[in-house]
Amino acid sequence: MLKSKKAVFMALLLVVAMLVGVFSATAASKFKLVVWGRDLPDDDPAHAYIKALVNGFAAKNPDIELEYLALGDPGLMDKTKVAMANNRDLPHIFQSWGGSVMGGYADAGRLYDLTKELKDIPGSAAAQQAMTWKGKIYGVAPFFAIAGVFVNEDVFAKYNLEVPTTIAEMEKVADTLLANGIQPFAVGARDKWPVLAMYMYFVNRFGGMEAFDNAQARKARFDSEPMVKAAELYQEWSKRGYFGPTPLGEAYGDAQQLMATGKAGMHVTGSWMCAQYADPSFTDQKIGFYPFPVLEGGKGKATDFMGQTDIGFAATRMARENKEAVVRFMKYAMSVEACSAELGRICSVPGVKAPNRLTEMASAAFTKAEAIQFWWDQDLPPTVTSPLTDTLQQFLLPNANVKRLLTNYEMVVEENVGPAK
Amino acid sequence: MVNKNAKAYSMIPEQFRIKKKRDWNALVFKAALLAPAILFLVVFMYYPIEETFRLSMTRSTGLGPTVFIGFQNYVRLFQSEEFLMGLKNVLLWAFWSVVIQIPFSFFIAFSLSVFKNRITKPLRVIYYLANVLPSAITAMLGRFVFAPRHGVIPSLANKFNWQWLARIDFLGNPDLAFWSIFTVATWAYCGFYIIYLMANIEQIPKDIQESAQLDGATPWQYARFIVLPMTSYALRIVSILCIVGSMKIFDLPWLMTSGGPGYATSTLGIVLYKNGFVNWQYGRAAAIGVVIFLLSLFFTIIQFSLQRKEGDVL
Repeated sequence: MLKSKKAVFMALLLVVAMLVGVFSATAASKFKLVVWGRDLPDDDPAHAYIKALVNGFAAKNPDIELEYLALGDPGLMDKTKVAMANNRDLPHIFQSWGGSVMGGYADAGRLYDLTKELKDIPGSAAAQQAMTWKGKIYGVAPFFAIAGVFVNEDVFAKYNLEVPTTIAEMEKVADTLLANGIQPFAVGARDKWPVLAMYMYFVNRFGGMEAFDNAQARKARFDSEPMVKAAELYQEWSKRGYFGPTPLGEAYGDAQQLMATGKAGMHVTGSWMCAQYADPSFTDQKIGFYPFPVLEGGKGKATDFMGQTDIGFAATRMARENKEAVVRFMKYAMSVEACSAELGRICSVPGVKAPNRLTEMASAAFTKAEAIQFWWDQDLPPTVTSPLTDTLQQFLLPNANVKRLLTNYEMVVEENVGPAK
Repeated sequence: MVNKNAKAYSMIPEQFRIKKKRDWNALVFKAALLAPAILFLVVFMYYPIEETFRLSMTRSTGLGPTVFIGFQNYVRLFQSEEFLMGLKNVLLWAFWSVVIQIPFSFFIAFSLSVFKNRITKPLRVIYYLANVLPSAITAMLGRFVFAPRHGVIPSLANKFNWQWLARIDFLGNPDLAFWSIFTVATWAYCGFYIIYLMANIEQIPKDIQESAQLDGATPWQYARFIVLPMTSYALRIVSILCIVGSMKIFDLPWLMTSGGPGYATSTLGIVLYKNGFVNWQYGRAAAIGVVIFLLSLFFTIIQFSLQRKEGDVL
């Protein structure tokens, strides 16, 4: 009896050992693809695309074990930077906004050239350009954001206002709104970077695309005429109270609330806000998206847009471990199936229907764009981006000398990038 | 005398003499006990300090080659408006911390120790509570109080129709932002100083207090002539902590204003973070780290040398 019990026990042990062996062998045969992203793949409407991407890819690729790590903001950027500097513990893929930050990693040899594999994936040229550095494609950008003017159409209708197409008209609209106790623009300058969108447009409308392009290429200075004029206009609008009595104490979230509650008439920011401004649980206001007005006599055109990757992915040098798995992920990220889950961003993939009226308006503006300038703080070298937003924030101070501020910034650029020739 | 002893010692048979030889076992035991602490200091303190000094002499983005540039980072730092503002702000912060936070903490600690009643214990908890909150929560509460439009102050001001107060931008006005953050910091940090000083005040023997009372000393006189001198060492420790903490301050200004508007609330810690993690200038960031280290060291040495002069035992 005892002997047979022992035998049964031994047999069970053997079966368990075999099962463990089989399962570990199966697990071992799976390739573990590590992806670092910003957002959690949860039920937050703003994370709908990431959730669909992570779940859909895992379901469709049983031979790949996807390890998606949501690092938040600025966690993603900080961790990526540290890992890239150490050149170890790199993921295979990381979420990237492209531009010079990605370029810095590429120059240091941390990224993997996937030009051959990705060049024919259908998508907008601007999005592909954003993930390209020195002629090599390192990733994909399924979503692209352009900056424009979010307009509270209910408020405009109440005061019989037309959406402005020129800066002069915009000033008249702002004066009317101000006279009626509505703050003309929501900005959220405490966070510094929100000031950038309107300033980029001002510079463009004064000096055209070349105003920034030349300064970036060091053919002109950052305190050149269009830059100074744009800063003076910004400061003038601040003095008039267009940004409210306390713009520097309010964060970007406060600016959103001002729009959502009808206390502000316009918000110049990126199209990533489409999902929220179209969400009835966030706002009961009817909000539209329009291109930034032109300046009479200025060089910039209505079809010049400021924009950048909204969601993008780039491959690190670790991608050479299993290029095929990485490319599969990139292709799925650019698939109609995954992109259709998105609730607000402008999709760069053809065939994906805009999820709401606001995104439709932003997408329509995007398709009309003849020239797109990338977000300055993503396109300039990282060594000069935080001084840029520090400088711009001070345009809202009534006593600030904007010319001196821009000259100081030019000195920072000269020190880090080189003098203007 | 010595010679006599030596002579007597030589007369003792050799097998009974105490051998004065090195006790290797004891030495190894002591070394083994000290080793973890020394190793910890070397690995986590001295090596990083040395590395920071070395890095501060280089131009490094962390990605490309690291180039030795001597003291260039330091020269550039002292030409940078942001760094100079950060330096000015931490020095001001240290000064006002010592001038405001320590007397305030002493006053509260003295009151809670000397005038004991039913609410003393709950009050201790209340004062210390702010200290146990994570700084992210403290900053959030600070923003909640000072935020324009919907903050506690503007809301109350609107309720009483004090429009002049409601219109003040506590975090967006460069002249006020520093003081708004400092107020929150005073609330957050004083809890620790209060508890520390209370522990020292309560160690003063009861009979001294009683004899002072018998001599007719008022509470003010008791505080001024007995408690203050007897807690001078604790007060110096608190001021060192205060000053060194001020040199390193980062969390509250960063979370409440990101160092703005402009550089109005920037600190050395913020400039370091931005240079290292935003601008990819690790060499420059390390140079700022060295400046913070040297400033902290300088103030600590000054404090302790003053103490030595006055005859306190360290």
